[in-house]
Amino acid sequence: MSDIPVFFLHGLAYAGLLFLVSAGLTLVFGMMNVLNFAHAAMYMLGAYFSYTMLQATDRFWLSLMVCPILLFVIGALIERFLLRRVHVFGHLHELLLTFGLAYIITEVVKWVWGNFPLAVNIGGFLGDTVEIIGITYPVYRIFIFVCAVLVGTVMALILYKTRLGIILRAAVNDSEMVNALGFNVPLVFMGVFAFGAALSGFAGVIAGPLLTTYPGMAHDILIDAFVVIVVGGFGSLGGAVVASFLIGELQSFGVLLFPKLSVALVYLLMAAVLIVKPSGLFGEKQ
Amino acid sequence: MMTQRNAPVALIAALFALGAAMPFVLKPYHLNMLTEIILFALYAVSYNLLLGYAGLLSFGHAMFFGMGAFTVAVSLIHIPGLSIWSAIGLALAMTTAVGFVTGGLLLRHKGSYFALLTLAFNSLFYAVATKWHTITGGDDGLSVTRPDLALGFTTVSLAGIESFYAFTLVIVGAAIAFCWYFTQTAMGQTVLMMRENEERMKFLGYNTNISRLILFTFTGAVAGLAGAFYTLHFQFCSQSAISVDMTTTVLLMTFVGGTGTFWGPMLGAMVYIILQNYLSDITDRWPLFMGLIFVFMVLFIPGGLSQIIQSAGNLLAGRRGTGKPMAAKEASS
Repeated sequence: MSDIPVFFLHGLAYAGLLFLVSAGLTLVFGMMNVLNFAHAAMYMLGAYFSYTMLQATDRFWLSLMVCPILLFVIGALIERFLLRRVHVFGHLHELLLTFGLAYIITEVVKWVWGNFPLAVNIGGFLGDTVEIIGITYPVYRIFIFVCAVLVGTVMALILYKTRLGIILRAAVNDSEMVNALGFNVPLVFMGVFAFGAALSGFAGVIAGPLLTTYPGMAHDILIDAFVVIVVGGFGSLGGAVVASFLIGELQSFGVLLFPKLSVALVYLLMAAVLIVKPSGLFGEKQ
Repeated sequence: MMTQRNAPVALIAALFALGAAMPFVLKPYHLNMLTEIILFALYAVSYNLLLGYAGLLSFGHAMFFGMGAFTVAVSLIHIPGLSIWSAIGLALAMTTAVGFVTGGLLLRHKGSYFALLTLAFNSLFYAVATKWHTITGGDDGLSVTRPDLALGFTTVSLAGIESFYAFTLVIVGAAIAFCWYFTQTAMGQTVLMMRENEERMKFLGYNTNISRLILFTFTGAVAGLAGAFYTLHFQFCSQSAISVDMTTTVLLMTFVGGTGTFWGPMLGAMVYIILQNYLSDITDRWPLFMGLIFVFMVLFIPGGLSQIIQSAGNLLAGRRGTGKPMAAKEASS
């Protein structure tokens, strides 16, 4: 079957996108213990911001840089003025807050941009096709995968090789002690949340040309990203890499091999992991 | 002088009497709305048994609501001459079974993990309902006709809204009363204490996992009953009954009404349905207003409307209350 390499590459591209979304989600979850339901909504905001910027300037690279910065600011504001307020009430309230924010953002997006899909076209080199291993393949999908690899590498380097990474990981384990040692832990958490938001915005900009921009995109990716977190293990970056790859390929080959069952395959994988190893493939035991 | 214990019983009786008087007062349009309020009140009450009483934040309650709705629709279409009792009984059996099986899987996790998993499961049910076109009708939905109500000695047609309203008031009202009774039983109290201090309950010899599974299954069956009445009321069932939006609806109702009291979610259901009916005439953006109200409450009034009412009542009576919301308690994770 000559289709197999094509479907494999399709799977890689979607896996790349999934990783970009779930990396931010799992980072915030692992660091702050906040399951951010609004993460996918911010990803959608990134995609819509990018759509508007492309309409105005037609410069993809510019929107790839500006939109994450906008989302960084939004994320910082949300953490500082909303999330921090409800922190004392516990995780349940943080969850409810991010859920409410996701709901509002989705409604605002429908209001401002309309309740219909908007196609995003990118010209230039990225919109082209390229010849690899004997097949003609869109450059853009390869670009997504490369972005995911780059982001993943940079995140791992920061977390495990820099002084900042040490402070971050220490703040997870014992935030009071880190605070007492003179580091501004609330600022660190604000930074983490804002960075997660920026990452989701980055993923959104990238998703637009691949999946088109539509109001249901947040919900669609949120479920897949949740499955990635469940399968990979809560708060594990390495788990997110493996699970994204698994689910990306599963979706891609599911359409090829079992077209009728393809929607259920991802959930079946999740249910199987839950039964066999409830903490996820790379999760620590709770 | 009424005792503390009899007060809720008197309140339930008064609500029933008030409900019985409504057909003489309201126009059919408003009676329709009231029927909808009652069935959603049951849905919200069942959800609050999870959220308020057990401290379990589920994003998958619509899978039971929708399962009940679809069971009634599918069985009425495929089994000719099926009585309304059997259809409702099937819905209850089905949702009990689904609650037991999914609960076994989902309750392996608590807190945020539980929330995330329930959402994923709800999406699975929604995906199946959308794709399994031959059974569920997919995007088109299923239309059904309300069967007559056989009471043994006589048969009542439920085609009109007056008779269906009376049927809903009695059955759904009884179910709500039973839920209240449930919170008073040893089982209901166990759930409360588990939320407060699960470790201690374990040391006292309670099997908290089994208690939680029983509660989850029970609330699933109750939500299934609400879903069954949803189909009977609208004489239509589509995949929206099992969508995540239907879970969002019940979460908004419950939280805005207040998770700290038994009756708060019923109030929330009423406010939600009334706002939905009137705001949707004025603006298409009414979900945005609901979302803003919700976030405002999460930030400033975590006890919901019932907290406001209780505080106002305490103020009038010159008492000082804490008005502490139940959901503000941390779910042990």
